Amino acid sequence: MPSSPLLFFLLFLCFFCTQLSCTETEVQALLAWRSSLKDPGCLTQNWTSNNISTDPCQWRGIKCNETGSIISLSILSCQIDGTLDKFNFSSFPNLTRLEMVGNENLHGGIPKEIGTLHNLQFLDLRFNNLVGEIPVTISNLSNLEDLDLSFNLLTGAIPSAILNMSGLHSLDLGLNNLTGQIPRTIGNMFNLEELSLNGNYINGAIPREIEHLNKLTGLYLYKNELSGQIPLEIGNMTELQIADLSDNKLQGNIPATIAQLPNLSELDLENNQLNGTVPPYLGNNSNLEWIMLSNNDFIGTFPPLLCRSGKLKYLWATKNSFNSLLPITLKNCSSLIELDLSDNNIRADVSQTFGEHPNLSIINLSENRFYGRLPSNWVKNIMILSLQDNRLRGDIPKELANSTSLVILNLSNNNFSSLPLIQAPTLQSLHVSNNKLTGEFPLLQQNWTNLVTLDIGKNNFYGEMPSWIGSSFPVLKILRLGSNMFEGYIPPKLSMLNNLRLLDFSNNNLKGPIPHVLSHMHSMVVKTITNDSYIDLYFNSTVYEESIDFMWKGVEATYQETIALLTGIDLSCNAFSGEIPEDLMKLQGLISLNLSRNQLSGMIPHNIGNLTSLEVLDLSMNLLSGTIPPSILNLTGLDALNLSHNKLTGQIPSGPQLQTFNLSAFSYNDGLCGFPLPNNCLTHNNSIVPLLRNEARHKKLEVIWIICSVILGYVTGFWAYFGALYWKISLRFVVFHFTDKMQDKMMKWCGRYLH
Amino acid sequence: MAIWFLPFSSVLLLVLSFTSPVISSNSEGDALHALRAKLSDPNNVLQSWDPTLINPCTWFHVTCDNNNRVIRLDLGNSNISGPLGVEIGHLEHLQFLELYRNKFEGKLPDELGNLKYLISIDLSENNLHGAIPKSLSKLKSLRFLRLNDNKLSGPIPRELSLLSNLKALNLSNNDLCGTVPTDGPFSTFPPQSFANNTRLNGPELLGLAPYDFGC
Repeated sequence: MPSSPLLFFLLFLCFFCTQLSCTETEVQALLAWRSSLKDPGCLTQNWTSNNISTDPCQWRGIKCNETGSIISLSILSCQIDGTLDKFNFSSFPNLTRLEMVGNENLHGGIPKEIGTLHNLQFLDLRFNNLVGEIPVTISNLSNLEDLDLSFNLLTGAIPSAILNMSGLHSLDLGLNNLTGQIPRTIGNMFNLEELSLNGNYINGAIPREIEHLNKLTGLYLYKNELSGQIPLEIGNMTELQIADLSDNKLQGNIPATIAQLPNLSELDLENNQLNGTVPPYLGNNSNLEWIMLSNNDFIGTFPPLLCRSGKLKYLWATKNSFNSLLPITLKNCSSLIELDLSDNNIRADVSQTFGEHPNLSIINLSENRFYGRLPSNWVKNIMILSLQDNRLRGDIPKELANSTSLVILNLSNNNFSSLPLIQAPTLQSLHVSNNKLTGEFPLLQQNWTNLVTLDIGKNNFYGEMPSWIGSSFPVLKILRLGSNMFEGYIPPKLSMLNNLRLLDFSNNNLKGPIPHVLSHMHSMVVKTITNDSYIDLYFNSTVYEESIDFMWKGVEATYQETIALLTGIDLSCNAFSGEIPEDLMKLQGLISLNLSRNQLSGMIPHNIGNLTSLEVLDLSMNLLSGTIPPSILNLTGLDALNLSHNKLTGQIPSGPQLQTFNLSAFSYNDGLCGFPLPNNCLTHNNSIVPLLRNEARHKKLEVIWIICSVILGYVTGFWAYFGALYWKISLRFVVFHFTDKMQDKMMKWCGRYLH
Repeated sequence: MAIWFLPFSSVLLLVLSFTSPVISSNSEGDALHALRAKLSDPNNVLQSWDPTLINPCTWFHVTCDNNNRVIRLDLGNSNISGPLGVEIGHLEHLQFLELYRNKFEGKLPDELGNLKYLISIDLSENNLHGAIPKSLSKLKSLRFLRLNDNKLSGPIPRELSLLSNLKALNLSNNDLCGTVPTDGPFSTFPPQSFANNTRLNGPELLGLAPYDFGC
């Protein structure tokens, strides 16, 4: 017993000592780890003191408790280069908060010693380059409440011991390379409020045990390979606010129980293989703000109570098989901001389905069977209005044409019958093609500083093209006026369209020559190298993608992804006359040149080979004459050629690309010869001499002259001789006398010789 | 009754599997995409080749027929290098394969013989080596075969003389050996078609015993 005070003193000393050595060990551990790093980054600066003592509690990113022991360690975007292998975790028994975030050169694995941080409550190692598996020892951290290992390169399956930690409030393992399945033990994590496993390769089904997570507000399982059905039990997760299961391989129906979730505000099921009808009571019991159902196989109608809470802002359901939309669903939904129902089978009257939506800025109903007339005041502050490929009819409201917010207006492929003059200064894209619109050119003259696409083709517009068309569209890239009744001449100022890439005036009544100034279109001179963004919307939207219909390679197709690469001129089916300007051959960016079905004459320009990007050349059904220029052999990218129905002559040039075209490319040209036509050309010494039409005619004339002169010579000679004999008697005597004398002489000579 | 059901249904399934449309157009897009993955394309000629599209018919340098089957591939003079993948054999309706004046390397795939509608093959002016595949003799519609200016070696397959529609053949400037067939369409080809093959021994001598110099 006399030793007891000594014992106490010793214990006290030891305690004090251990405290001191705790702090000392902590500093030593930090410095030892720092010196193990290849590059300590900001730690060189952060982990220094002004005084001589090495008290880490003054250092940046480090917090201590009253006894001077480290409780929090923060290393954020520090540019350290190294691993955690030499980090002595067991030296920090009081650490409650450890975060090392945003160090792209922090690599290697998470050491299992991390499990010795018994007091750890908060562990954040995201945005590093950590590899290997998640150490099971983390499950020993019984005080851990928040665990974030996202944005690393972790592999392997999530240990079931981790998905069993009942103390965890939030778990984020997103954006790694994790595989395996979600273990059933997840049901034990009843304190979990947020679960993020997104952006991995997790497969298998969502376990039913998930229903026990009755404190979970955020469930993020998107971008994985989850399969099977969404468990019915999801309806028991009463605190659930956000459920993002998108980009997986989920199948089956949405369980009807989901409609009973009282707090659900965001439901994202996009890009799965779900089918069936959406539970009809969805929206009845919750505060739905975001509903994403796109790219599945849903059928039927939309749940009528979807907007019951009056909070629905975003409804995306494109690429499904919905076939109806009841008026009750959206008519009074004034909270709506974005609506995408495109590419479905919805048959509904648009004037009954919608009411007033003052917040609606983006609406895409394209590729459906909406019918009826557009209500005039339904989209006041609209930015994107995409209604193409429906059965809408009637007038296009004036309010739309004068909108000061409209950026994209696409009404193509409908039955609209009238279009007021458009004066919408913010407009970047206008598509009204394939309707029953009539009248003169629909735009008002103004400075259309934003218009990139103008597509009014396939209507009944008439009159002349306005002369100001060149000077009012500084950024216009696509001008499609084809299949209308425009007449008159191409305005010369058209060449001022410096950004124009695609020009389609086909199928109209335009006349006159093809103006030389067309060759000044700068954007067509340059070869398009990159598929840059075609249209720059000043806001972010994934709901609308610009596209254009283009007749190319013999078929009219819709070009969306490659719209920025299209460079072409289509003037076919008009009454253009005169020659094809040689200057047009400067447009080296052209991939398609169609001048067919006009009255163009003269020769094909000799430098046609300059158009090296050309894939399609159609000059058929004109009055072109002369030979096919040999430079056409330079068009090594040509995959469609039509020169038929002209007056071309001579030998068809011979080359590898040209030989891939058959008879139909050259037929109905009387003077054309050589492969692939059956008639051979006239050649001399096996050399290919292209006979010009004029040369041939000259040769013919030559022959005729020769024959004529010969005959004339014979006739003149004959009549000169015998004529003289006939008319002049004295001559006759002289000639006959001479002949007799010669005859005597000949007889004498023969007689002497014979004897 | 039930006894007959099983074999009947399996026969039905078998028949159906043979009559069902063989390859969807998207698989032709997949084949082209796989081909592209092996190639180096510094001029970005293939940037329009988007495999997420429903078919490759809107891709540049690809032409389809009315049924959305690829019939032409025109990539001449495009500065492309790399091997010509075996996936080319999936383009079953291909008629024109124009890949001349590039830097294609490696061997000519045997799968070219699967493309029975081929009318023209132009792989001239590349860096191809190895032998001319015998499978080319299956291409009954072939009219133009240009393989000149490569590094092809081995013999000219005698079976090529079976290609009765062959109008033009150019194998010049290679490293071929053995003899040149003289029957069938080979009787019409001028000697320039085989020029500059230093190990080529000239026309074969047809006699009782075939002269095979081996190579």
